[in-house]
Amino acid sequence: AADKIRLIPQDFFAELCEQIIQHLNHKIPGVNTAELCQRIQTSGVEINIGDLAKIANILSFLFSTAARSNLSAEELVTTLGSAGSTLPKHAVQVIRHVWDEQGKALAAPEDARNTATVGQFVDMKWKLGVAMSSDTCRSLKYPYVTVTLTVADPSGQITDRSFEMTIPQFKNFFRQFKEMASVLETV
Amino acid sequence: APSKDAVRQLCQECFCSPPAALGPLARRAGPGLAASAEEAEQLVSALHNLTRHVVYRGLTRAEDILCLFPENFHQNLKNLLTKIILENISVWRNEAQASQISLPRLVDMDWRVDIKTSSDSIVRMAVPTCLLQLKIQEDAALCGNNPVVSALTVELSKETLDTMLEGLGRIRDQLSAVANK
Repeated sequence: AADKIRLIPQDFFAELCEQIIQHLNHKIPGVNTAELCQRIQTSGVEINIGDLAKIANILSFLFSTAARSNLSAEELVTTLGSAGSTLPKHAVQVIRHVWDEQGKALAAPEDARNTATVGQFVDMKWKLGVAMSSDTCRSLKYPYVTVTLTVADPSGQITDRSFEMTIPQFKNFFRQFKEMASVLETV
Repeated sequence: APSKDAVRQLCQECFCSPPAALGPLARRAGPGLAASAEEAEQLVSALHNLTRHVVYRGLTRAEDILCLFPENFHQNLKNLLTKIILENISVWRNEAQASQISLPRLVDMDWRVDIKTSSDSIVRMAVPTCLLQLKIQEDAALCGNNPVVSALTVELSKETLDTMLEGLGRIRDQLSAVANK
């Protein structure tokens, strides 16, 4: 992973570290790896999303372990120790800097949110459409609902899943959610 | 053909079959119709085109379908075929709607409400939470006969559930607005 880290320009690496710390601090629901990867690629760096995700996981583990052991920035860099010598200097600098600024805010996680074992729902976007025509049917007039769910998986990576529903399916979907909400109220 | 039901069956198979599968279909159907391989192929192809055309144009009246046949076509056969087509029109239309290209579709939804009572970082708590599992099927047209279904399991808190409900309510409002136009 060290050589992949080498590829990431300093400002993007800093942004990644920032997002990771903010996620660990519950300030943001997750790390938008896909979006960050896109921007890094646009800047001309060849890195794939799998590698970026691995790096994000490693950094996340590094920071959360440091938080539990209450390490100072110096101790953190020392821990990186032998691994740190293979990391590019700018990366170590960024890690030390980000930890100095925000590491202390990572208090012991006494929070129900920390018990994630499945993806966490982040956001929902929707669209109501009517399919007018297709190669099998010239006049379709078929209404449907498209939904995109933004989910943060347990490691903190944010992904989108999109799917379609027919109108009857949507009505059932809505009804189920209202039921879930009323159960949550009464429980 | 040996019987009316055989004709009905053949019409359905011809409609449902994608163009690429017509050859094998003709080979299967040929013997039952006492037709040569070439005749079977022509027949199957013609039936496929006829049924697909009717669904594409959305024809619903007997007259519209009858006038598709050539002039000297056998009268009783023409009427039988028209009758069979009319019987199947709405089913075929629904199939056409269901098989159009689309994003992955929701096929199932299950949920559960849990109460988190304890964890390695918090000894006691009582936090209600929702677990939702959506089963999503990839575009059927891309998967052929083996559609891929994936499960998406998501946890929602009361706040995120309310966000979701708000969004869904707006879709419902939009639907009513469109329906009333």
